[in-house]
Amino acid sequence: MKKDFLKLAAVLGLIMVCLVLGGCGESRSPFAGKYRSVEPFAGKSHVDLDLKADGKGTWTHAGKSTDFTWMVNEGRIWIYTKTGAIVIVSPGNGGNLLSADMTADWHPGCPPSSCVVFRRVPEGG
Amino acid sequence: MTEEQKPSASKVVDGLKLGQLGQEVVVPAGARIVTQGESPEFFYVIQAGRVKVFRETADGIRTDLTELAMGTYFGEVALVTGQPRTASVEAVEESRLIKVSKEEFDHLLDHNPQLARHIINQLSQWLVVGDRRLESEVVHQVKLRQVSWFDYVLMIGLSIILALVVNIYNDNRIPLIHDWGVKNDVPLISLGQAQELYKQNQAILVDARKSAFFNQEHIKGASNLPLILFDLMYPLFQFTVEQTQGAKDKTIIVYGGTFSRRFDLELARLLKHKGMQKVVALQDYRGWPKAFPLGGQAPKEAASLPLGLPGYVEWVPVGIFLLILIPPIRRSPYLAVVGRVILGFIFISFALSKIMRPAVFALNVVDYGMMPSWGVNLWALVLPWAELVVGLFLILGIRTRAAATLIGAMNIIFIVGLVDAIFHHLPINCGCVGEVGEPVNWWKVTKNVGMLVMCIQIFLYDRFLVLDRGGFILRDRKI
Repeated sequence: MKKDFLKLAAVLGLIMVCLVLGGCGESRSPFAGKYRSVEPFAGKSHVDLDLKADGKGTWTHAGKSTDFTWMVNEGRIWIYTKTGAIVIVSPGNGGNLLSADMTADWHPGCPPSSCVVFRRVPEGG
Repeated sequence: MTEEQKPSASKVVDGLKLGQLGQEVVVPAGARIVTQGESPEFFYVIQAGRVKVFRETADGIRTDLTELAMGTYFGEVALVTGQPRTASVEAVEESRLIKVSKEEFDHLLDHNPQLARHIINQLSQWLVVGDRRLESEVVHQVKLRQVSWFDYVLMIGLSIILALVVNIYNDNRIPLIHDWGVKNDVPLISLGQAQELYKQNQAILVDARKSAFFNQEHIKGASNLPLILFDLMYPLFQFTVEQTQGAKDKTIIVYGGTFSRRFDLELARLLKHKGMQKVVALQDYRGWPKAFPLGGQAPKEAASLPLGLPGYVEWVPVGIFLLILIPPIRRSPYLAVVGRVILGFIFISFALSKIMRPAVFALNVVDYGMMPSWGVNLWALVLPWAELVVGLFLILGIRTRAAATLIGAMNIIFIVGLVDAIFHHLPINCGCVGEVGEPVNWWKVTKNVGMLVMCIQIFLYDRFLVLDRGGFILRDRKI
């Protein structure tokens, strides 16, 4: 009986270690900050993208904000919406430009019809 | 020879007039005195030192039987039975022995009934002890090979409990059953009525599926508002509607429901909540491809991001699959151990890539269109935990046969899903490792078949490095 508990404890311990190791992504700090879409979106205002260093973020358009979480994987930003969609954002120009693939898939080059390009807003700007 | 037997053996040996018999030999530590299978020529009495008695199989598995010290003897079994040596003996340390020839031994037995009785007694004792050992080993092996329902209940139960508990505390938690108890307040429209409105240009058609599905096939003239991107893309859709001539008088017909998720009903509800008027969904949600003119591009493989290490490791089972074609390797328990580690690593990688974001994985499950909508979230919650638990069980050597069965069953399900997706040209990613990971193609099927074959090999031949009923079993097991 004691042996069984030890086995179970070993399995649970390993699960926790795996989860902790698996949850570690790349550093977010190079990309944390505020961004604004280069073009107005949907014929209205620009989209404001706020990537907070703690992995949370907001997409604000026409006065309405949508929260999401984000992480960095293989140099790309992965935005996770509450609904389960993933928007993959490819950085360019040293992280000052972000191209968001709005198809909820990843395509090499970000399809022009579904691509929203953001530029970093200088701090205090 | 048991501890309690030693004093009596010693007394018997002490009683022998050894000075008149045999010859004294000194053997260094590690020297082989008797070799299993040889013809017997001598009986040995230990005067000083220690020796080890062991048996060895043809494939090198060694079983240590006992250690003998001063005052005991060995080599009598083969002399009495006339059979080849039943075990090997080597010196543990430098030992002094009396080496008695067969003729002298026979003479000794003829004239020393006390020794003869002792040897008979000794052999009987060994027979009884040997039977007990045999029984214990058989019981152990049978238990090791047993797969009980408890093993499956343990692994599946642990996965379900972990999935449910972690989901409660997960920031990205999902309901156990999507849209459970949500009342449908969206009016439905028949295909005939929808066709009529479409022909009269009185309808705005909206496809609620992911853009990859839309791009592949959609109703001509429809626009795409993927439900999963509703919060982000609604303003663009709103703008499009506002630009449409006579939009206020037109009916918005939402379509794109699937067996696994009614995207159409959910999107229609959201549009109504945004204040849009005249929003309806198709009654026969799967009938539109036959009822409307279609647009779209020819099917093509979905784009995917590279997977890194797990993607390469997945090829190992295919290599092992080829090795398994060689019969001696096929039966190797060492191959089973290697297979366990590889499969464990692959399945733990599978699990970790999706375990904390069940909503993303649920959408992957929906993409295949094989799971009824009530089961999607349950499957998306439990499967990654099952992969993790079973993977760990395989690596740790716990209930490995049951673990191999479960991984094999998962592989069969994956293979069926992949083949179905290939035949239906679904524009989806596998969703196996990584979230926007591998494409669905025959290579992926091959990898899964390789893993399935490994599961079968583990099920049949795994027996080393297992922490199972009866303790940890290493290769060189002391009986």
